[in-house]
Amino acid sequence: MTTHTLPTKAVSTVDSRRAARRRGDRTGWLFASPALIVLVALTVGPTLYLLLSSFSRVELFGGQSEFVGLGNFAAVLTDPEILSSLLATLVFVVVAVSLQMLLGLGLAIPLSAKVRGSGPAAALMLLPFAVAPAVSALLFRQLVNPNYGWVNHYLGALGVIPADLDWLGRPATAWLTVLGLDVWQWTPFVALILMAGLQSLSPEVLEAAEIDGASRWQAFRHVTLPMLTPFLGIALVLRTIQAFKTFDSFQVLTRGGPGNSTEIVNLAIYRIALQSFRIGAAAAVGLLLLVLLLALTPVLLRLVGRRGDNEEA
Amino acid sequence: MANRKIDARVGQLVLWAWLLVSLIPVVFMVVTSLKPPGVATSVPPTWLFRPTLDNYAMVLTGGGTGQAFAPLVLNSVIVTVGSTILTILLAVPAAYALSLREFRPRRFLSSWILSTYMFPPMVSVVPLFILAGNLGLFDTYPILIVPYAAINLPIAVWILRSSILQIPYAIQEAAMLDGLTRWGILRRVLWPLLVPSVATAAILTAILSWNEFLLALSLTRQDAKTAAVGIMEFTGMFGTDWGLLTAASTVIVAPIIVLTLVLRRRIISGLTFGAVK
Repeated sequence: MTTHTLPTKAVSTVDSRRAARRRGDRTGWLFASPALIVLVALTVGPTLYLLLSSFSRVELFGGQSEFVGLGNFAAVLTDPEILSSLLATLVFVVVAVSLQMLLGLGLAIPLSAKVRGSGPAAALMLLPFAVAPAVSALLFRQLVNPNYGWVNHYLGALGVIPADLDWLGRPATAWLTVLGLDVWQWTPFVALILMAGLQSLSPEVLEAAEIDGASRWQAFRHVTLPMLTPFLGIALVLRTIQAFKTFDSFQVLTRGGPGNSTEIVNLAIYRIALQSFRIGAAAAVGLLLLVLLLALTPVLLRLVGRRGDNEEA
Repeated sequence: MANRKIDARVGQLVLWAWLLVSLIPVVFMVVTSLKPPGVATSVPPTWLFRPTLDNYAMVLTGGGTGQAFAPLVLNSVIVTVGSTILTILLAVPAAYALSLREFRPRRFLSSWILSTYMFPPMVSVVPLFILAGNLGLFDTYPILIVPYAAINLPIAVWILRSSILQIPYAIQEAAMLDGLTRWGILRRVLWPLLVPSVATAAILTAILSWNEFLLALSLTRQDAKTAAVGIMEFTGMFGTDWGLLTAASTVIVAPIIVLTLVLRRRIISGLTFGAVK
């Protein structure tokens, strides 16, 4: 912390500095506490509830809850459906986010070029991102309708797919559809972050590389990419967090089906809690998800926190 | 360098190909919503028709399904405005506190607030469901408004804090010499300078609240049901009226598209917590 003296008339003795800090602390807590109370109530509160109920058998409609120790965790971790939902979540996050990063980078390069039409292009780019995820899932479901969906009709006419292909009826194509939806919805977010990154690079460095005889690929690999790393990091960590929270698109598009082939962990929690009312089991799964996400916190703080932080050294 | 030019051409081609393909769902939505009843689901899809607003009229008044969409849109407006106002009221003082050099826990608290972004909303559904039941708040506006504010606080606080930190500290010191209190500084000195950032935070909060699905699905049934959840009723077991469905979709999506297009840069900057300018 820099030594900072309050503009009081007193000379900056240790005592007056201490008093100023105390005053600063009091003002700080006063101003911050409303927001902190709401945040604690809605994050720490549910977490405590989760902890308590994950060790109990909870009766929602009257009746006494009883302590079952690690029973819920044992039940959850031996339940093949829940294990498969955890695995599905990991696969979904890795595949969807990788595709979005690759496509986003590929699109950011032409997007950041200073040519006519780049403004409208960037605006159009963001359009899918503005569509509410639940609504876009609903639209996708119509587009892949085997009877009169546009995708089936036009791709069928071109002979790419059988026109009556039931996308959501088979696990492989159902996965393709939800992945397609997620890539459609979120690639723009990645592309625009990377576009901002590319536009912030100084052209002189690239010119210098060119003068030194670097090939286009070498210049990209050894100059552009390293300078773009912070932006790639931010896009990656934010998208990963968001992908772990995905619920709407799966719930509307597949409801975890066919069978439970596309049931990611958020859908599993929802089903166990609000349809089977096994609150203890749902809490245990929720806690696993929370721990998984919390493991990402240091990365978020490092990449996003530090850059968003323009504070004095 | 001929190669370089060709590369750039290919890049632009790929970009515009992506844009064209990615517009299909939006085109589908808008075009189908304007089709007269009867041709919406025709095979092959018809492109020559007399555009009509009948679907919109039917959707909003409920002429088609019995469930009028207008009240749900109103619920969405109330919840969105409520949570946006609450978020800003909470975030502005908090962001100011976290920028105060004399406030010792400011770094820890800033990081903690940012880290609540990790918290998956799914995890709070059951506790909120039970709480809502106990307090009689199930299917009311507050049970959505307060959690939405909490979900948006990390982004709002970080946007505002980073913008306060960019204002030279000397201005605050001068104001203090003039005898202004902390509250006076925030209200009279900083607030006018913060208006653009407040607008960004407010718009992001509004977009996320308007589009929110999970909590609205779990914590409302009828009276406080929002449009993003209510739209599901346009798809039924026995087929879907595409005209009505796409008209309702357009009603939900149009305001957000307009906001996003106008404020593209601010939205990306805000959603990255100010890390991308």
